[in-house]
Amino acid sequence: MTAMTKGIYFTEALARYRADSELGPLPEPVDVYALLNAYHPDYLRDSLVKLAVGANAGDSCQRELAELLQAEAFIDEADLAGTPVTDIDVLVIGGGGAGCAAALMAAEKGARVLLATKLRLGDSNTVMAEGGIQAAIEPDDSIQQHIQDTLRGGHHAGDPALVSIMAADGPEVLRWLIQQGMQFEQTTGGDLHTRRAGGLSTPRLVHCRDYTGLEMMRVLREAVIQHRSIEVWEQSPAVELLSNETGQKCVGAVLTSLLDGRLRIVRTRSVILATGGLGRLHLNGFPTSNHLGATGDGLVLAYRIGAQLRELDSFQYHPTGLLHPAHLSGKLVTEGVRAAGTLLVNALGNRFIDELQPRDVVCAAILRECSEGRGIRVDDGRVGVWLDTPRLERARPGLLEKQFPNLMTRTKIAGVDPRKQPLLTHPTLHYQNGGVVIDVNGATTVPGLYAVGEVAGGIHGRNRLMGNALLDIISFGRRAGAAATANRDRGPKKVTLEHVNRLRRALTIAGMPMTLRSPQVLPDYATGGAWNR
Amino acid sequence: MESLTEKMPLTEPPQVLLHPNQRVGADMVRWRKAGGGKALVRAVQDPAFVREQIRVSDLRGLGGSGFPVWRKWEAALDELPKPDKYLVVNGNEDEPGTFKDRLLLEQTPHQVIEGAVVAALSIGANRIVFYINPDIKRPLVALRAALDQWQSSDLLELASTALGKPLGLVLCPGSGHYIGGEETAAMAWIEGGFPFPRGKPPYPAQAGVHGNPTVINNVETLAHVSHIVRNGGAWFKSLGRGAGAGTKLYSLSGDVLHPGVFELPMGTSLRELIFVHGGGLLSGKPLKAVFTGGPSSNLLTPVDLDVAMDFDSLRARGSSLGTGAMIVVSEGTGIVKRVAEYMRFFAHSSCGQCPSCKTGTATMSRLLDRIDTGEGTVADLNTLKSLCTMLPGSGRCHLVNGAVLLLDSAFRHFHEEFRQALH
Repeated sequence: MTAMTKGIYFTEALARYRADSELGPLPEPVDVYALLNAYHPDYLRDSLVKLAVGANAGDSCQRELAELLQAEAFIDEADLAGTPVTDIDVLVIGGGGAGCAAALMAAEKGARVLLATKLRLGDSNTVMAEGGIQAAIEPDDSIQQHIQDTLRGGHHAGDPALVSIMAADGPEVLRWLIQQGMQFEQTTGGDLHTRRAGGLSTPRLVHCRDYTGLEMMRVLREAVIQHRSIEVWEQSPAVELLSNETGQKCVGAVLTSLLDGRLRIVRTRSVILATGGLGRLHLNGFPTSNHLGATGDGLVLAYRIGAQLRELDSFQYHPTGLLHPAHLSGKLVTEGVRAAGTLLVNALGNRFIDELQPRDVVCAAILRECSEGRGIRVDDGRVGVWLDTPRLERARPGLLEKQFPNLMTRTKIAGVDPRKQPLLTHPTLHYQNGGVVIDVNGATTVPGLYAVGEVAGGIHGRNRLMGNALLDIISFGRRAGAAATANRDRGPKKVTLEHVNRLRRALTIAGMPMTLRSPQVLPDYATGGAWNR
Repeated sequence: MESLTEKMPLTEPPQVLLHPNQRVGADMVRWRKAGGGKALVRAVQDPAFVREQIRVSDLRGLGGSGFPVWRKWEAALDELPKPDKYLVVNGNEDEPGTFKDRLLLEQTPHQVIEGAVVAALSIGANRIVFYINPDIKRPLVALRAALDQWQSSDLLELASTALGKPLGLVLCPGSGHYIGGEETAAMAWIEGGFPFPRGKPPYPAQAGVHGNPTVINNVETLAHVSHIVRNGGAWFKSLGRGAGAGTKLYSLSGDVLHPGVFELPMGTSLRELIFVHGGGLLSGKPLKAVFTGGPSSNLLTPVDLDVAMDFDSLRARGSSLGTGAMIVVSEGTGIVKRVAEYMRFFAHSSCGQCPSCKTGTATMSRLLDRIDTGEGTVADLNTLKSLCTMLPGSGRCHLVNGAVLLLDSAFRHFHEEFRQALH
């Protein structure tokens, strides 16, 4: 019997469910690494392939990603003939939180900034960040503890220098956000309200209801639009970076337009990649919580120009993505719901894991329940577990409605009431832990190229803690914006595709086919595959 | 295009400059073991013999001029020191697509230094200035280390004794300007001024650095001196193919599978360089054009594939070998954009002292940029053509001539492409 057909059928399990039933004791904790090894998708060795060319040749990553990293470019020199050229100081690629923070900082430092985004300004995963933002502001908390939690949560694979600088930036980041006009939840005394989350040694999560990212994006977006030194190009995905004549320095980018399909050359001193993650590649067939544009373009562009990447095989699967109703598949139920005390229950009505373990552990535990037949099956054969919201409602009436309006609205539209009916959840591809290698200023290993936000790596190690993503994007976004402005190169820039030729040479020598083109720009199901031909 | 990609018999090219024995970096002990220093001993005994061998070898100025080296040396030898005589080793190498001197300086600095000392002995120069592009970091480190080893070596003492006065070796990083590679500009920088080229005469051999007789030779040229002295000029000449003499470092770049520096017989065909040594064109595309010797010369097109790449054969085709840089452009690359980029390079590189060059290159660059971005008009194209006839010869140095030469040949071969780019 395969994993797909195991489990108890949804309606049957729902009929059997009682919010007031006696839960069995938590089973004896198993060895975390054994659990991860057996069930976490990152550890599925069959789906990994070794990269043959580029700065990470020899490293392994998921097949879907490797294909894009080692693909032919979209454009050739000939395509650049007659292309209009824009000269600007700093080009920011990506219109999420990291891109906006970088653009604002660069503009504050005096640069003329062009922010190009694939979809619309604010179409990003930032708006989906629900839980909050970490910052060590409580009296019994410290920067040191924040650093330790982050490193431990990332299985000590993170870069301590990056983690320290980010944690130290935390309070300042909050101050800056508040200055920008962002609202946070407050205690009755007027202090910032903090809450607990998985992997945190103390409450450290500052939040705005369950739409912290949305609130953040609201103020950043307004600030960007209002800033007179920032020009915004929407529906303008980057299809290639430009290099100098040796192919070793980034001197601009080629953008296209989703509206008219024409190319535009942007020549610049610094390019900041803030392109986010790659959930829409659906690694291993997982659903994703990511927005439509998260196709890993930044990784592809950076890799092609020679930047080093890291932890390429490490992704975060959020434990509680919705499985039912089907059209919400992959959408998140914030970890805040578990932080508030909601339990995970399998089809037999038992708890199976401490819900506030780090995300990768909880995710592996859910996958274990599903594959061992203790899951709840829906029509299309997929299996999940209960997120026991009715029990929370019983224990703390009104809490769901007050603290999680976003969740309540979304489920209400879908005709499900989480106060009465448990939510069927399954891990969903959520976050790319690794990414482009950066230093504390967001500078990559390629001069002139910066990377911030989810596309950058080294901060979260092999597993990200809740609330560190929002901190990461603002902290490093601001740093990269300032550093990119300070980068003052002289001389005329010869803009070439020499780095693409370098990759073509390497691919030819390695005997790799160059049939696929990348970056992906949009998922095939959104375009009928038009971008990949 | 089948004939182009046909496999050609690969003959082992003679490696003298880049022989593995020579590529020891700044390691004097290993270099001496491999025969380094012998040419210097020979030059100490008989400087006239050195001059004779250089004459027989038909060694040319490999920095782009192709001027016979022995004639330059002869002219300087006839001058009296006032009170010094200079030899400038020109390693300014700043042309797009040229990267041979930095390879020599990094991998065989002692070979270059010995060649320079031998040259100094045979013309009676007592000051050698290594004038090097300041932006090439690793070669500078290697050369500095190698020079330190020379300062305390017996070889330098031997040379000084033979010369009758101390032989000074000085490293002078250049200005970082392209124009600084021109010989009078180099001298101006060494004297402490901005690298403005000046008119000739007086030629450097009569009045160069601080008014002293000066010979200025390229790094690659001088690197050849030591093995010419060791093995004889006739041997060196026989290494060439056809009319060419000796070997040449070709810098191959652009749309080829294996770009890099190749030491091949002078007079090797473009076809052999690209398809045998360069591994053919990238992604199997057809060849469109080749920019030779950096940007300041005529374009070559597929009909020129079998021309021997030596100074005289290319000059006969109206092009020039220049520094031996070959920037290969395949079909699928816009010529207009490339030419516009090179023109931007010229406009930026113009030192600005000759008004015709200062405004001429800037205007040509601006017009080409307009055409390249799809905003050019027929009038712009006609203006460019007029400039091509007006500008040549109007500057003190050859910068503006080189700019026109490139544009003119691009017009000649790819006129249709320019017309199509118009608004």
